[in-house]
Amino acid sequence: MTRKTKLWTLTASVAAVLALAGALAAQQPTFRVKVDMVVLSFTITDGRGRYINGLKPSDFRILEDGIPQKLTTFSEGSRPPLRVLDNGATEPIAAGAGDPERGGISTDALVGTNVFVLFDTSNYMYRGFVYASDAIADFIRGLDRADSVAVYTFSRNLSRAAPLSRERNDVLQGLRKAVAGDEAALYNGLLLALRDAAKVPGRKVIIVFSNGPDSASMVAPDDVRAVAEDEGIPIYVISTSDVNRDPISTGVFRRLAGRTGGKSFFAKTWQKQVEAFESIREDLGNSYTVTYYPQPNPNEGFRKISVELINDPGKKMRVSARPGYRPRVGS
Amino acid sequence: MTVTPFVHLAVLAGFFAATQPLRGFQQTSDWPARLARAELRGEAGAVLGELDKALAADPSNAQLLGLRARLLDSRRHPDTRASYEKYLAAPGLSEQDRSLGLRRLASLDLLDGDRAGAGKRLAALPTPVSLPAPVGASKVPTGEVIIPGPISGFSRMAALSPDMPDTEILAALARNIVTSGYQAVSGSEGLEQTEYLKLILRYVSQARELEKLAGPSQILKIEQCESPKTADVLRILGFRMRGGCGSEVVLETVNASRAFLTIDSGFPLAELEQSLRSNRPFELDFKPTRVKVLYGPEYWLSAKEKFSGELIDAFLADPALCRLYLGIVKLDPDTAEQVRAAMPVARVRAFAHVFDFFGGMLRLRDGKAVVPGGQRSAAAWSDLAGAHPDKGVEFIEKLIMKDDGWLASYFDSLSRIDGPVQAYLTEPARLKRFYAALRGRVTSPGPARPVFRSNTDLMLLTTRLRMTTSNQPHVPGGLEVWKNLFVKHPQGRYDGRLTKAAANWKEADDLLEALFGLSRKAVENEPLKIFLAVSDIDRRRAKPLTIAAVDRLARSYRALGAQYPLFSEAPSLREETIEKFVTAAEAITKNGDEVFKADNAGMMQSLVALWQVLYRQKLIPESQADATLSAIIDPFLRAKDDGPLFDAGRSGVALLLKATGTQDNANPQDRMMDLLAGSPSTEDQQSLEELRADMMRVFEAQKLVSLKLIFDLADHFESLSRGERLNAALLNRLAARVSDLNLPKATLSTQERNSFSFGYWTEKHLDAQRKLNFRAVIDKAAGNADKLKEARGMLAPLLRDTLVGLLYVHYAPPGAQILYTNPLFARSHDFIGIQGSQQTWKTTEVLGSGWPSSAGGRLVGSLATLPYALAEAEQNFLIPTREQALIWGDLVPQMLVSAKLPRWWNVTPGQIHYLALHLRLGEEFLAESTTSPGLFTQAIDVLDKTATPVRLRRIANELSTANVPAALEDVTPAEIYFLGRYASENKLSLAGGFGSSIAALAAADPERLNHQAISDAFGTPKPTLANTMHPQLLNLRTFPTLMGFSSRIMAESWESNNIFFAALADELQLRPSELNLRIPLWTQRTVEQIFATHLEDWPAVLRSMRVIADQARAEARKTNAIQQKASLE
Repeated sequence: MTRKTKLWTLTASVAAVLALAGALAAQQPTFRVKVDMVVLSFTITDGRGRYINGLKPSDFRILEDGIPQKLTTFSEGSRPPLRVLDNGATEPIAAGAGDPERGGISTDALVGTNVFVLFDTSNYMYRGFVYASDAIADFIRGLDRADSVAVYTFSRNLSRAAPLSRERNDVLQGLRKAVAGDEAALYNGLLLALRDAAKVPGRKVIIVFSNGPDSASMVAPDDVRAVAEDEGIPIYVISTSDVNRDPISTGVFRRLAGRTGGKSFFAKTWQKQVEAFESIREDLGNSYTVTYYPQPNPNEGFRKISVELINDPGKKMRVSARPGYRPRVGS
Repeated sequence: MTVTPFVHLAVLAGFFAATQPLRGFQQTSDWPARLARAELRGEAGAVLGELDKALAADPSNAQLLGLRARLLDSRRHPDTRASYEKYLAAPGLSEQDRSLGLRRLASLDLLDGDRAGAGKRLAALPTPVSLPAPVGASKVPTGEVIIPGPISGFSRMAALSPDMPDTEILAALARNIVTSGYQAVSGSEGLEQTEYLKLILRYVSQARELEKLAGPSQILKIEQCESPKTADVLRILGFRMRGGCGSEVVLETVNASRAFLTIDSGFPLAELEQSLRSNRPFELDFKPTRVKVLYGPEYWLSAKEKFSGELIDAFLADPALCRLYLGIVKLDPDTAEQVRAAMPVARVRAFAHVFDFFGGMLRLRDGKAVVPGGQRSAAAWSDLAGAHPDKGVEFIEKLIMKDDGWLASYFDSLSRIDGPVQAYLTEPARLKRFYAALRGRVTSPGPARPVFRSNTDLMLLTTRLRMTTSNQPHVPGGLEVWKNLFVKHPQGRYDGRLTKAAANWKEADDLLEALFGLSRKAVENEPLKIFLAVSDIDRRRAKPLTIAAVDRLARSYRALGAQYPLFSEAPSLREETIEKFVTAAEAITKNGDEVFKADNAGMMQSLVALWQVLYRQKLIPESQADATLSAIIDPFLRAKDDGPLFDAGRSGVALLLKATGTQDNANPQDRMMDLLAGSPSTEDQQSLEELRADMMRVFEAQKLVSLKLIFDLADHFESLSRGERLNAALLNRLAARVSDLNLPKATLSTQERNSFSFGYWTEKHLDAQRKLNFRAVIDKAAGNADKLKEARGMLAPLLRDTLVGLLYVHYAPPGAQILYTNPLFARSHDFIGIQGSQQTWKTTEVLGSGWPSSAGGRLVGSLATLPYALAEAEQNFLIPTREQALIWGDLVPQMLVSAKLPRWWNVTPGQIHYLALHLRLGEEFLAESTTSPGLFTQAIDVLDKTATPVRLRRIANELSTANVPAALEDVTPAEIYFLGRYASENKLSLAGGFGSSIAALAAADPERLNHQAISDAFGTPKPTLANTMHPQLLNLRTFPTLMGFSSRIMAESWESNNIFFAALADELQLRPSELNLRIPLWTQRTVEQIFATHLEDWPAVLRSMRVIADQARAEARKTNAIQQKASLE
């Protein structure tokens, strides 16, 4: 009997993948490379940092390790995704094309962003707990109606305070009943939030509200960052200047956010995070999201993603996207 | 209908017959026999279908109806009651059969809490039976304490489970205040409030303000946003409105400390905000909570001088009062009442700490104290305490006051055991002698002074002392070994006085006296640990260890004691093999090259641990077990560098594969994964595949190199040395795998790297692999045959990692995340540990969580307790589904180990049904005991062996008022199993017929259907308590938390999970092999569902298991419905 010795999955964050992985695992061939859909979100800004909107799929090229990719869907901001045709033109995705009952993805699920708020309720946040709670409530209220939000809290363990929902009141109720206290396992919590987010179709981000120190995680920030890269989930970190007392945390936050296509913010107090919220909301509202099935690529290690603009001869535009991903072991 | 000849038919015919069998079953039908055979094969469902067909043709056939009812009953089917009703309505039923049916229905009603239904059935019996009065006359006076505001808010602030009955809230609060409410102040003897307590106090104050605002209606009401009351409420809550009333209003913090209390106590702030936005009224029931308080508030307040506030305030302000309450509520109520009547409250309060820790086993009957050893030992107890047990409370008072709690702890330890050990230890002269040794000369500090009970060693000694068949203590190796150990211990004396005395020891009691004497010392009690460890090795051996072997083990204990559970688990190991293991381990330890030492120890330990797994799973036959292990260890006696070490590893793998009947040409990697997954020959390939796929995912995530690739490369070096051509593809495959090792460290800064305060040798181990370049080695060898052969040694670290990784894969706990996320986790196993700690052969420990390690945690030490350490490392990735879970720590890893270490590939359907029938029988025993004084006495006697007097009294009260569901809340599944066992062995006359079903099954398959086999199959590993990973049921009293072990020993004495889930699997008609997937899953869900108030809150575990069982039943119903729908379509 031949035996499977490897089960590679070429990443992505689409729930349908999971079922496929299970099915494949039950078979017996040798060496299999499984190709899954990649979801890539990015923003484009000009030399002054202003967002460039209104681009079409034909205005840029996506490359993986230099290999051009053929786009499957394209969307801008919180608008519904469009199917990308062979000639680069787009058309709306027919209603019911992704019937979840038949194992597909609801087109509705691809509209807007799935925002996972990860709220540090450990002892380190004791003094800032209520202000951070207010700030998160403000942030949630200000999100686009099309966006879904989940609130997770963490101390030593993760708690799903409010599951992913578009009902803001439900989410706020969960947020306002968070229990405070205990040790801080930020990276454990972040990993678990990533695992949950990865199961959700469509675009998603994780926004961490934390003042930093980690006293209980068993996983390293870089391992968590690698998961975020592979899943294509940008991580935004919102913190206060208290975190400066722990320079290692500051450095890790910057790196975590930067390498995953997110950002980190350090305002003086939680009340002064308005700018951070605005920036994140702008990112969400002005980003492009494309999906594609990777072209054959022998690289089983880190695959570098690049977004090239067709009409930017002076290379003045700046693209913010995750740098790439690694094919992930089975789901 | 013809009767099929079958060897066990005669016995099996009675399978579903009761003690008074239903009429005609044996004579006219082969149905019972068919059903019995089907049960042994796990095919009862098919017989049910056939029964239904037969009943369709003959719907009033009493025999078939009775059989059907019994079948459904044994599986807890929802239609059971209806089936019995149909059976009772069948024409021609004898009075005797009808009575049995009615009694069984009455039991089912009682089990469901339907007193009225049960009463009607019992009244309809030919000799009517009455149920006892629903409410017993409680002799214990109670009162109420008022807690401001709803209990939900207070419970959240005080970390009390919301599932807790109101009778237990005050005790739970008292415990939390004692353990978490106060802390020592440096430089002072006083205590200061912790943040936990300060928050409770602030919350109480805030709740009172809100209560006042709510007014007489006790409803906090805001008519509309602009009401004057809005501002008052918000001020108390610490919030204000941003923006005017209307859709834009937002509540924001204005007073952080008040706002914190508002959110942390779960005040419905979002709902309030929404009401203000929509200008709708907001209403919140803010009635104060009335909680039961034993004896009423006055009694407790009388213990305080000049206090005029509420009892709740007195409690929060006084940890001594809390301890007093705790001490009293732990007493059996009758005993407590007599203590209350006879002892002034101030006196009780002075010894509250002793009552709290050691009062639980005190009991007065007819005014006399019940003492361990009974009447025979009463005089000795009188001498020890200074009052005769017949004097009741006076005895208790003296006992509690004596020697700062040491005598009470001695009494408690001896009360917790029974049988020959208790009889031996309570022989009057011995009782006094051993206490004198325990007490010593200086009694302070007493064992009840610290936060945890500090009589751990005493409890272990009395619980685990082993007696010979002639009821004498088993002294491994004989007394001389122990004399020598005490007199000439190579690592220094244990105790100067004992060393002197040891030279004159003549009998076992001399040694026991010394062990009791050492038990009270706060230092590491090594002799006791050696004694228990070696006793446990002997416990299952056909022939005890010889003097030489015991002596060797005793002297090597300090370095290698953590490895001894291996010898306990495999009783057929020869002494020569044990000796060889010890010699090899000592040789490895002496090697000064730390990197090589780590590889050497890792290689040997992993091979031995793999042998242990395969032996445990019965994949290595008993006849080959010793020879295989011996041969595995052999080369490690000689391995001095990497080449021979690699050969030792490779030959070890080959030996394991050979012993498990592997064909010579099998792929070693695939075969090893198959073996570790379970039984390759199981019929349930689906479960096996699923488990194997999970394991494969972990293996891949750990980037381990397959055994096949490693061995192919080694062979290739060999062939290169013979001049054959280079296989570049093979080298590239390895290079690609190893190149992954670089990635996780790429972004660490220097500062972070410098923060690695440990793991130096592990980093070297990883770096060496990162630098591996076989191509360069081959080029450098330039065809030199010897050098090419030596190159195989470079594969040794890789082979070590793969073998270690296979164990990580095998023991991966449910809900694991590190194993999927940190690709270096298994490779980073640190066999050396922090410099100077010599952890190579010690227990496995988790190290490096949180900052500043930054590279994530890792495991350190040997592989001896790898399953526990893995579970400990992964436990915080489980996601509680409740607000908080306070029972993590030592309990959860043990629960995960109990779900993951045993495997159920060899369990038969008959075994899970046999177990489930015991639980069914145990429940029926309790239900019928409500109307039968004889059964009641027997049930209480059985439970007396494991339940504390206070719990036993509660159960007795509940049974005597026929409140069976409440009684079952207080009985663990393990206890129900033992009740069933008692009922079965004593052939109790119960209506359900489960006893005779059990007997019939046991007769059909006596090898597998007996208590020992059930204990092996559904027991739990107890490495701390019993020095072995071998799963077993010990039927002990659940241990309390203990100094040095927290709740770890308690967790090991909790034996109910696997029993409960196996019975559930039988109910859901799952195959036993599915337990390999279901038990870990159900255990994970149970842990996630637990909401416990304190470390000893095992009822919270029980509640959680029941919730998970209900979920599993609902899922099964849903699946069945889908399948039925699909089949109809």
